Amino acid sequence: MSVFMDLNLTFSADRSNMQQIIDTAAYLGFSTVAVNYTFEPSIKKKETVPSPKPVEDLIDQLPIVQGRSRPIRVLNRLTLVLSELSHFRPNLTEYANFDLLAVQPTTEKLFHAACTQLEVDVISVAMTEKLPFFFKRAPVNVALERGLAFEVSYTAAIRDATMRRYTIANAVSLVQACKGKNVLVSSAAMKPQELRGPYDIINLCSLMGLSDEEAKRSVSSICRSLLLHAETRKAASGVISTKKSCGEKPQQQEAPISRNTGEGDSGEGCAPAAKRLKSQLTD
Amino acid sequence: MNPESKDEPVVYQSVVLKNAAPYQYMKVCLVLEDKSTKVSAVDLKQFIITGLKSLHGEVGAASHFDVLKYDEDTLTAFLRVSTIGLVKLWSSLTLLGFYNKQSCAFRVLQVSPFLLSLTGNSRELELD
Repeated sequence: MSVFMDLNLTFSADRSNMQQIIDTAAYLGFSTVAVNYTFEPSIKKKETVPSPKPVEDLIDQLPIVQGRSRPIRVLNRLTLVLSELSHFRPNLTEYANFDLLAVQPTTEKLFHAACTQLEVDVISVAMTEKLPFFFKRAPVNVALERGLAFEVSYTAAIRDATMRRYTIANAVSLVQACKGKNVLVSSAAMKPQELRGPYDIINLCSLMGLSDEEAKRSVSSICRSLLLHAETRKAASGVISTKKSCGEKPQQQEAPISRNTGEGDSGEGCAPAAKRLKSQLTD
Repeated sequence: MNPESKDEPVVYQSVVLKNAAPYQYMKVCLVLEDKSTKVSAVDLKQFIITGLKSLHGEVGAASHFDVLKYDEDTLTAFLRVSTIGLVKLWSSLTLLGFYNKQSCAFRVLQVSPFLLSLTGNSRELELD
């Protein structure tokens, strides 16, 4: 069995709020969380990509995860809200500072590009508005083959009744397009009260048309395979990798990289990452 | 498969109950932003019904559930709901975000088809 993860906690500069959110996540049983920085690139203003705050600055002491007696793992994630393809600069060194890279496409063309070309891990689907395009099978299938995941976040559904309608409608159409595969459910919470427990989310997924099994995977093993995918994205062709020399993290994630000798983004021809690595999850 | 006959040794019979659980029991805790807010049992039930209605409409609000026990100090309640209504009730609890304009969350602590199982929780055990 894989551990539960929540790969989207909205970053806030308020330190005590961040601490409370991470504490709540640990209390609810999430073993790994990712702090999300949203960035909207534009040509006119030369804005710099935000750099992630070190975990020590976010939180004093990492809380112990309920039922696992080990501290929670905190990662960084960058979400790029794309309105034009040229805004995505693939070789930017700033991207390498983040553990996860997500894009939120705003047009159908960009969605197609994100599925087929862009070197990212997560394709985030906007939940706060009516979707301006349909999900087409063809690009979605390519994305599934490349090992990307589609993200659904549920906090908007808690905040507002209209958003709830959009969230459910968008999620249902997404699940139909990708047949329940590689759907990632995360919170995007800004307050501790907006977080929900993993089993609550699994139950909620049945409203989006996911089966129980797929629902459980969406908060556990898909997150894990995404993190591994992110690791191979950083590595050169999935063969050579540079490691951070801090903590116990690399030890766990080293093995899959050496095995994956194919392309950087989830070698084709072999089983999906989630399947291949299941034996190592029982730590 | 006849346990009545006396000259044969004891024969064991396996009994499989299909759809045996008519009810599911939930132990839920309401977490409020302002911890000093008082919520009575009637308020709680009304609040949950509002949630059911806003998510699942009249059909959802028609599914029956009971508040068996409620502790006002800890805001913890035991709910009983018929098995078919569980997913609806649970999802509406999940999506309840505001109680009287302050943010709140329902923490579902335990769910079980047996009321007795809710008496113990190994997750909260503190080992010396």
